[in-house]
Amino acid sequence: MSLYELLGTVEVGLTFGLVALGAFITFRILDFPDLTVEGSFPLGAAVAAILIVNFGWNPWPATFAAAVAGFGAGFVTAFLNVRFNILHILSGILVSISLYSVNLRIMSGPNKPLLGAHTIFSAAQGWGIPAYILSPLLLVVIILAIKLLLDLFLHTGLGMNMRAAGANPAMAAANGVNVGRMKLLGLGMANALTALAGAMFAQSFGAADAYMGIGVVIIGLASVIVGMSILPVRTIAQATLACLFGAMLYRFAVAFSLNADFLGLKASDVQLVTAVLVVVTLVGQSSRSSMGKLLKRRSS
Amino acid sequence: MIEVSDVRVTFNKGTPLESTALRQLGLVVPQGQFLTIIGSNGAGKSTSLNVIAGLVRPDCGKVVVDGQNVTDWPIHRRSRLISRVFQDPKMGTCEDLTILENFALAHGRTQPRGFRFAIDKAIREQAAERLELLKLGLENRLNDKVGLLSGGQRQAVSLLMATTGETQVLLLDEHTAALDPKTAEFVMELTRDIVTQLKLTSVMVTHSMAQALHYGDRTVMFHRGRIIFDAQGEERSAMQVSDLLQLFKRDQGEELSDDALLLG
Repeated sequence: MSLYELLGTVEVGLTFGLVALGAFITFRILDFPDLTVEGSFPLGAAVAAILIVNFGWNPWPATFAAAVAGFGAGFVTAFLNVRFNILHILSGILVSISLYSVNLRIMSGPNKPLLGAHTIFSAAQGWGIPAYILSPLLLVVIILAIKLLLDLFLHTGLGMNMRAAGANPAMAAANGVNVGRMKLLGLGMANALTALAGAMFAQSFGAADAYMGIGVVIIGLASVIVGMSILPVRTIAQATLACLFGAMLYRFAVAFSLNADFLGLKASDVQLVTAVLVVVTLVGQSSRSSMGKLLKRRSS
Repeated sequence: MIEVSDVRVTFNKGTPLESTALRQLGLVVPQGQFLTIIGSNGAGKSTSLNVIAGLVRPDCGKVVVDGQNVTDWPIHRRSRLISRVFQDPKMGTCEDLTILENFALAHGRTQPRGFRFAIDKAIREQAAERLELLKLGLENRLNDKVGLLSGGQRQAVSLLMATTGETQVLLLDEHTAALDPKTAEFVMELTRDIVTQLKLTSVMVTHSMAQALHYGDRTVMFHRGRIIFDAQGEERSAMQVSDLLQLFKRDQGEELSDDALLLG
């Protein structure tokens, strides 16, 4: 792996850290398996791309608008579940497949190239730092800031209500927490983060694509599971850090397995590799003694 | 003050399993009264508690708490007037949160903190001060996850949480049923002390006749969705468990089949 490849992997890993934080909110905090992210990731990419290329927006507000769009998508999923009692997984599937059509509409086609366009990464250029170092650096700052904001939020009265709503809904309600509203807010936040990741990924990758959401839900979940099973997670700050770490580790695991010639894998095998990785981690978690050791030996 | 009037509750309405849990229930608990409810399984005692708390919406009738008609209020809104302790110690506290965070959560029931930090110095001190009452040393374990506590400790913490804030109504749903006798007595004594001290209007559902008569100011007995017996004052203080059983037999012309009731 060359330095260029390495920094590229870091860049993608950082971007997907936001997806992992989103999955942490839905899967871990709210106990709501959210599949909307499959649609909100490309939604974020599409919104940012169209605003930058067709409407000539500055990339920063365009990226912010992508996050707002993602919030809306998550809100709709939660609304279907809370208001109409549609099963949480089904709500997510419904919204993510409808977003597929919405994204095609937004981009007036299956993709939108951003090559040569003004992006958040090009906007920061001209400080004398080469792009392949600047991009990951910029991402580190953005992602750490978001992580800190999330940590702070989860320690506010509202954030603690959200944690209680996911961990023990009956008790939370008895203590005055509007559990439905917490789901609306939490899913909105999670999908805003995912859409933000989509917007940044599109800008660093150079295009938005209607198909780029495939597998996002499992990447987010894999990052959370891998990260939280390796790092200690006694506090919120440790847990969110573990998610970011998990996202990075996951990216490297995929990059290594695809790079290792003796395995004979191709880039198109990435989804299979992801699924296998998640299964191995889950099995390793449930029986730390046997499979856990096996997992550690493999990754070293 | 709790006023339940003409409340009717039917489960599985319109199906072959349809059953009426409460029939035209009317019950008034004056301010500061400690009411105990007894009855066999399926008599409607827990359902009546759930109607007050908002878990069950009645088909008809009205629920008024502290002068406010709460019949159409969702659970979380009622929690500003009503606090509860559940039967299952796992239900009353949130095991993923620390003792202090649980306390802060209960505190937010009447004083929501929104975007301010959930925990500040005042709440920490208040929690420590109240936990000291238990003499369980929990005031030194504020940052421990509640999941680490025993059932009895959790139930004691639930009780303290339920009586934090300004609510005047306390609902106890067989809150000592899952505890061993010694711990149950500890939690019951604690309940009595707190209820007396804060002058709370309380409703306690129990399976134990002895407990129902020993604690509180008034006892009602439910049978098949109706109140069949209501005693307070001298009539009640002279009563024994055997009297209750005879009364039940006379009124219903049948034996109590529920062992749990007899054992109490």
